Amino acid sequence: MSSENALTLIVNGLTLALSLSFLIILFWYDARREITHFFAAFLSLVILWNLGSLLAQSLALIGPLSATVLIPLFILELGFTGSSVALYALIAAQVKLFTRRFRLLVLLALALLVIYRIVLYASGAPAPFAVDETGSLRMQERGPLLLFYLVFNGASLYLIWRFQRKIRVRLLMLGLVLFIIGQSIGFLNPQLQTFALTTMLCSASALLIGLGVIQQEIINPLSDRKSAVEALRQVITSTANQSDIDPILSELARQSAALLEADGAAIFLRDEGQLTLRTTYELPTEHELPTRPLSHGVAGAVATSGQIIQLDDYARDWRGQSDFSFARTFFGSVVCAPLVAGGDPIGAMLVVASRQGKLFDREDTYLLQLLAAQAAVAITQSRLFSEQTQLTEQIVQSRNQLETIVASTESPVIAVDRSFRLLIANPAAQALFPAGSPPAHDAVIADLLPASAFPANLRRAFREIRRAHALTYEATVGERIFLCHVASLGQQRMEGWVAVLNDITQLKELDRLKSEMVRMTSHDLKNPLQAAMANLDLLREDVYDSAGADVQHSIDVVDRQLQRMNRIIRGILDLERVREGTLTLSPCEPAQIVRDAIADLNEYAREHGISLTATASDDLPTVYCDQEQFKRALVNLIENAIKFTAADGRVEVSATQQGPEILFTVSDTGVGMSAEVQERIFDRFFRGKQRGVEHVSGSGLGLSLVKAVATNHSGRVWAESQEGKGTRFFITLPCAPVIS
Amino acid sequence: MKIMIVDDEAAIREALGRKLMRENFQVVLCKDGLEALRMFHVERPDLVILDIVMPDGMDGLTVCRRIREMSDTPILMLSANAVTEDDIIQGLNAGADEYLTKPVRLNEFVARIQALLRRATIAVVELEQHYNDGFLNVDLHRRHVYVNGRKIHLTPTEFKLLAVLMENAGRVVNQRDLLEQVWGKEYIDDVYYPRVYISQLRRKIERDPGNPAYVLTEHRIGYRFEKQPQTVPKAN
Repeated sequence: MSSENALTLIVNGLTLALSLSFLIILFWYDARREITHFFAAFLSLVILWNLGSLLAQSLALIGPLSATVLIPLFILELGFTGSSVALYALIAAQVKLFTRRFRLLVLLALALLVIYRIVLYASGAPAPFAVDETGSLRMQERGPLLLFYLVFNGASLYLIWRFQRKIRVRLLMLGLVLFIIGQSIGFLNPQLQTFALTTMLCSASALLIGLGVIQQEIINPLSDRKSAVEALRQVITSTANQSDIDPILSELARQSAALLEADGAAIFLRDEGQLTLRTTYELPTEHELPTRPLSHGVAGAVATSGQIIQLDDYARDWRGQSDFSFARTFFGSVVCAPLVAGGDPIGAMLVVASRQGKLFDREDTYLLQLLAAQAAVAITQSRLFSEQTQLTEQIVQSRNQLETIVASTESPVIAVDRSFRLLIANPAAQALFPAGSPPAHDAVIADLLPASAFPANLRRAFREIRRAHALTYEATVGERIFLCHVASLGQQRMEGWVAVLNDITQLKELDRLKSEMVRMTSHDLKNPLQAAMANLDLLREDVYDSAGADVQHSIDVVDRQLQRMNRIIRGILDLERVREGTLTLSPCEPAQIVRDAIADLNEYAREHGISLTATASDDLPTVYCDQEQFKRALVNLIENAIKFTAADGRVEVSATQQGPEILFTVSDTGVGMSAEVQERIFDRFFRGKQRGVEHVSGSGLGLSLVKAVATNHSGRVWAESQEGKGTRFFITLPCAPVIS
Repeated sequence: MKIMIVDDEAAIREALGRKLMRENFQVVLCKDGLEALRMFHVERPDLVILDIVMPDGMDGLTVCRRIREMSDTPILMLSANAVTEDDIIQGLNAGADEYLTKPVRLNEFVARIQALLRRATIAVVELEQHYNDGFLNVDLHRRHVYVNGRKIHLTPTEFKLLAVLMENAGRVVNQRDLLEQVWGKEYIDDVYYPRVYISQLRRKIERDPGNPAYVLTEHRIGYRFEKQPQTVPKAN
């Protein structure tokens, strides 16, 4: 045996042992991987080849060549041809061309070749390999093997060339190419004795392929995962530090492109039925629409379906609309992952490689999904954050506005809690408090304001607030008079009260001046009226009896008009007096009031031919009222009823108890009023224009006085009426509290 | 009978004057308070009709008080100024016997004047009554009233009011009867007249007007004169 052959054997043995250990590592790492299976098949065949050559050489060295040497030579042939086929299968698996149809084709080709080989063997064709006494192996017959070689190695080369982007590990590529080259050398002229070199080259290639597979399957993913973790960490950190959504999205686009070794990235978000391009990385977008329909492009499909899409060739594999105008020209491999928040897709993250760029694999999709999940979290978080920030801003803003409003309003505003401790007092309110430092936050309001600032009857005030949720009363602080509106604080449970005080000192003064003026004017009118009336009376005495009908009529008209004027003036003055509101309250019996009022008008009713009756029990509870005023109100109502009732009509007056009130009713069988009239009867100077009563005179002040009296007495007044049937006036007075 | 009319409005005083002259009264017209006081001394009228609001510093109330300082002559106030009962009471408190608000019809005006004159002239001559308990001493016939030994001055209306009450001493005189007897039928609805005059009277004759012993109020019914046990007059 030549030292050369021995060396070959040792080198081959070592490389194969190494390859074997790689195979073990691969199996140990993940036995289910297809590529591992193919690599294992490939490696076993290469080992078979080497085993064959080792046995053949050994036999040649042991003794004279016999027929037994044919067995190792057959093994050698099996290994040699088999490894070509296995190499092809390995490459096919690597470039993921190993579809079912393809597998069938391979099996078919293999079967044909085996049959062909058997036929050759049966026809007694010489074995393709031979060994001489020195142990040198040579390919004595190239024919039978050449077909295998050309078919499978050719196909392998084609695949390598066609799918070179899919074989990313250089070492693997080198091993594959070197193996094909090695086998090619074997087919050179046997005289050149190159088969040992073939064996050596192919063993070394197997080693390289093993290394390549390990790198591709174990080392690269591990380092990728490390960088993925690092990238994720960066993404998480950068998103956590940002609250603004746009920087987060551009960072995410940048990171995902970097992580996937892609050439560009884009992030789309769903936005009210549209898809908005929010950020891009290394993609020209000047001519792109920022928003597009939801189903537009790969991103649209992903954002709609929530399913990840991976394309090896955008132009070839994507049938829908292009994501970008330049996508079909420039995009190669594309991965697009949905951004899912709360179970719903909210957008899509598109990562693209150029046509010459990387081909994304499963690892990449997995990574992108991770990034997308993180992106979704970041987006949701950022949206929540911005919403919260906005909300907080709004709250702060509205609080500031409210505070400014409360502070700048000239009306004092005071809020107290349930135990009457001060919550808020604006500067205007603080000015009412005793001079000195601003009041302590929880000072009791009663210590800060005089008693005249609070309702006289607190129990009644609270009852009113509970009933109507608001209370208005007149408060006096120093020399200023306020109209104080009190409302409850708190929606569900009562938390306190807020009071807004409107300074009505000036209004009061104006009102007083107005009343004064009305009074003065009315007085000033009384003197001319007196002069006119007196002279008219004299005139009447002088000429009435002797004058003609025209003169008499004129005198009568003047007389009536003067009387009317007098009534109006008196009405104004009476009303002013009542509106001034000074009441002389005394306990009164409702029945007595009714009787008094009736007594005043019996004569008047008789004159008009009206039957005036009263029903009021003496058992009715006592009321506190200004007897004079209230009787006046009742008289006005009765007088009114008599006026608007035709002769032979009825006017009934009654007083009954209705809960905590006494209800006085004046009903008549008169002309009644329309709804519009009813609405306005209590207005000053309003006079209803009922049909048939045009002759009835009045100042239009009587009912205003009734209303003013009722209001002064914390009572109510209203009317019910039917035109042609009659009217009922109601007036209530609260019963006096029972003293036990 | 001579009646003095004081009013700053010429149209009013002339019209009223004409009417009174037709009713056979002598009439003195005055245009302001000072003239009224001067003319009162000169003419000595039987009745004065006073406006309240008058220019030149002296209003009707002042004139009324000044006249009352020297005379019992009945005074009728005729004013446009009455808005509240208080205004009327103020006028009566100043010493007026009657308060009419403008405008007043001439017939009513004359009727009131006649009633007032009747009240003042008929007086209580027919009454022969004397009361003396040591503190209050009333001689109805001579129209003398002494309180705690001091002679006091009552207006004709006040005096008549006291006389009616004393006549019915121990019994309640209801408001309407009081009004009819003291003021006349025309006044039956003027319920504030007794109220004002009773308080006026109490101020003059009671030891403690706020807590009266002679003239008692029967709530819602009327008033009653209560005789008091004999006391020894104290020098004041």
